[in-house]
Amino acid sequence: MNFVGLFQSLDASQSTHAKRDALIAFLEQGDAVETALAVSLLTGRKQQRTLKPAQLKQVAGVLYQETPWLFDECYQAVGDLSETLAILCADGLQEANTQDPVLSAWSDLQQQLLQIHPDALPTALYTTLQQLSRDEAFLFLKTASGGFRVGVSRGLVHDALAKVTGMSRDVIDERLMDGLTVSQDWLSDLQRPLSDAEQHARPCPFLLAHPLPDNFESTLSPSDYVVEYKWDGIRAQLIKTDQIIRLWSRGDHDITTQFPEIIEAASSWPGQWTLDGEILIVRDEGLGSFHDLQTRLNRKRVTKPLLASHPARFRAYDLLKFNGVDLREQPLIKRKAHLDTLSVEQSPWHIHHSWLAISQMRAQSRSLGAEGLMLKAQDAAYQGGRKSGVWWKWKLDPMTADLVLIYAQAGHGRRASLHTDYTLAAWSENTLVPVAKAYSGLTDDELKTIDRWIKAHTTDKFGPVRQVEAELVFEIGFEGIARSSRHKSGIALRFPRILRWRTDLTPTDADSLSYFNELLEVAR
Amino acid sequence: MISKNTPSRDPLIQRTDKGLYCPQADVYIDPWRAVPRALITHAHADHARPGSSQYHCASESTGVIGSRLNTEHIVPHPYGESFQLNDIEVTFFPAGHILGSAQIRLHDGEQTWVITGDYKRTPDPSCKAFEPVECDVLITEATFALPIYRWPSMDEIMPRIFRWWDANIRAKRTPVLLCYSLGKAQRVMTEIAARSGRGVRVHGAVATLNTHYEAAGVPLCPWERAADAPKGVSQELVIAPPQVAGSAFLKRFGPTELAMASGWMQVRGVRRRAAINQGFVISDHADWNELLETIYQSNAHTVYATHGETRVLTRFLNETTAIKATRLETAFGINQELDQ
Repeated sequence: MNFVGLFQSLDASQSTHAKRDALIAFLEQGDAVETALAVSLLTGRKQQRTLKPAQLKQVAGVLYQETPWLFDECYQAVGDLSETLAILCADGLQEANTQDPVLSAWSDLQQQLLQIHPDALPTALYTTLQQLSRDEAFLFLKTASGGFRVGVSRGLVHDALAKVTGMSRDVIDERLMDGLTVSQDWLSDLQRPLSDAEQHARPCPFLLAHPLPDNFESTLSPSDYVVEYKWDGIRAQLIKTDQIIRLWSRGDHDITTQFPEIIEAASSWPGQWTLDGEILIVRDEGLGSFHDLQTRLNRKRVTKPLLASHPARFRAYDLLKFNGVDLREQPLIKRKAHLDTLSVEQSPWHIHHSWLAISQMRAQSRSLGAEGLMLKAQDAAYQGGRKSGVWWKWKLDPMTADLVLIYAQAGHGRRASLHTDYTLAAWSENTLVPVAKAYSGLTDDELKTIDRWIKAHTTDKFGPVRQVEAELVFEIGFEGIARSSRHKSGIALRFPRILRWRTDLTPTDADSLSYFNELLEVAR
Repeated sequence: MISKNTPSRDPLIQRTDKGLYCPQADVYIDPWRAVPRALITHAHADHARPGSSQYHCASESTGVIGSRLNTEHIVPHPYGESFQLNDIEVTFFPAGHILGSAQIRLHDGEQTWVITGDYKRTPDPSCKAFEPVECDVLITEATFALPIYRWPSMDEIMPRIFRWWDANIRAKRTPVLLCYSLGKAQRVMTEIAARSGRGVRVHGAVATLNTHYEAAGVPLCPWERAADAPKGVSQELVIAPPQVAGSAFLKRFGPTELAMASGWMQVRGVRRRAAINQGFVISDHADWNELLETIYQSNAHTVYATHGETRVLTRFLNETTAIKATRLETAFGINQELDQ
């Protein structure tokens, strides 16, 4: 089986069990390089983008010289650029060969396409696609444009790898944190023990929290937990050995170069260690918002003015390794005590003996710029993954607002051709100003009903976006609010999502911008 | 509203609140309300609605329309045989959509209009093949008027269905193929009969229509009502309408695997939204190329597009041909969740 066959098996099943079996069969029977590349793709690591969406779109000019708009119509109906091109260009449904590996050859082909003169690229790409089956063309484009996704979690791939190699899932998680090196021998490399130096330079799998259960007061004992603020930043591990200092985000991205001031600060902290903590923007007047932090991400160059206006700090929660010793099996309270002895910046923590005291601490968290509390079992080891009953998060209730639907756009993927992406607005005097885009939180039935309403009440169309009559009101929830000069409304909401469709409200009942300004004052 | 496109002559068709109407013949075509006299292109519910006093249709449609609309006021007409309504000559031509489906040609001695109803050009052994008809004005459907809709041949699709069917037998699951109970189900059954000796089990809604197809001499594969078959996992393919997904009907089959046969299955996101693991692209509507071929063959100077992607089709024709193309709002295709 090659990667195309694997994709077809995965795509034709919603059962986790069947997907895992398909992965195992592929890992056992597939070509070594093919399986290595496939694992990289499926776990979302090292997705190289060789072709940009704009370059893919140029094929439209080859297909429809006279009527380029026809391609846009197709794209809108399909909701995915690669799939649209695959349908329009590929040669039928059946693969010529389902055994021979494809990924390495495709990668070469993609590099060759890059060498071609830009003017000749659309025709060359079109000719390439014509020689592939529908699914091959789709996957070729998905892998070239770096947008490959299929309904398989990283954990499921790791489970299959554990089964095939006989290694434990925890070890697989840890070994693959910084990706894998593609080679004929990658599977045996994976099973080779690491040297101590290699081991200590790697991040540990992050321990993740569960939401606090509803009946926590009767089932949990408050004094069993270390209570900390849950900062609204970027969860990260800061690693220092005698050779390197690295900063890793929870998504397994090496973000060392994005935060030079943190690396510089860490270089003066004594010892060698792995710290688990949070990256935050910290100014003299207080914590920056998550929005501030976002402006620091994914930049080619971190400029001096940016470093001055958006200074970042690392606040440690936990000490995972110290001077070559792995501390993760120790109880948290011992690691905390050890961390206290180091001169590194720490997040404050407390032990409370009543839920009342903990809830009072939670009530203060918004004014401190936190998004709630973390409750971590004092006696717990640090195990990777979302382990049950070890860490709890007790977030603040989301802030809410009632907003009016003004624009709608068709979704992508599973929601293609259904209008599910909503732009929602608040009143400013007598006009409605967009303040949030949201698309999750409604049931499939509601989405269908609203889709029909949108189609029947469209007042204007701008490409794929429909302007609709101001009539439907939705209650949205959001985790944070910040001022923003990039938004017409002057505000940016964090994680806005639809809580419910307020069929009981009319647009005049919706909130106005002054309400958001009040929230901003409270958040200060 | 139509008259401005053919200014020199009276139009043969107007749009009224009851449906498309020919005043000269005093007859409605596929009316969406009860009328004294109707011409019916085919028996699907969005085209053949109950309550009218008299229904003219192609002879092969009589059984299905009679039972679906519960009426005896049907006047059957053989394909190609003209009849007069006032001064208008009316003729039914095969549309290739389902058994008895027809295009309707209206001729007043001077101009000719054709209403295609729903149609397809790909071969279908369960009904008469579409016949191109020349006309001055063509009223065409546009359900799948986008270039992404290009139907694979049944020679490509049927082996995939058999492979999927066999994989389910091996996995000890009942394969359930969801498709519209009138037309699509019988088309698949004739394709199975043409390629194998295998039998199927069908939902009651499909069974009723099967008897009409067999009465018309269509060679279906062996079938029995699912309700009459023993309970438990079935190695025979089960054919049922899409509404059974998630219903009690499926419980008798043990573990099931659902697939859907529909033109909409051409798009992955649509299949996944329907929570269907496997989609087979089989449509009884014309695809993009078939629509254009039909329009060009008709030699019509004016084209009205009625339902589906009418905006795309009319814009394409207006930009690339000398044909005058206009959208025509109708009630066809409404409440049509999936391809019929």
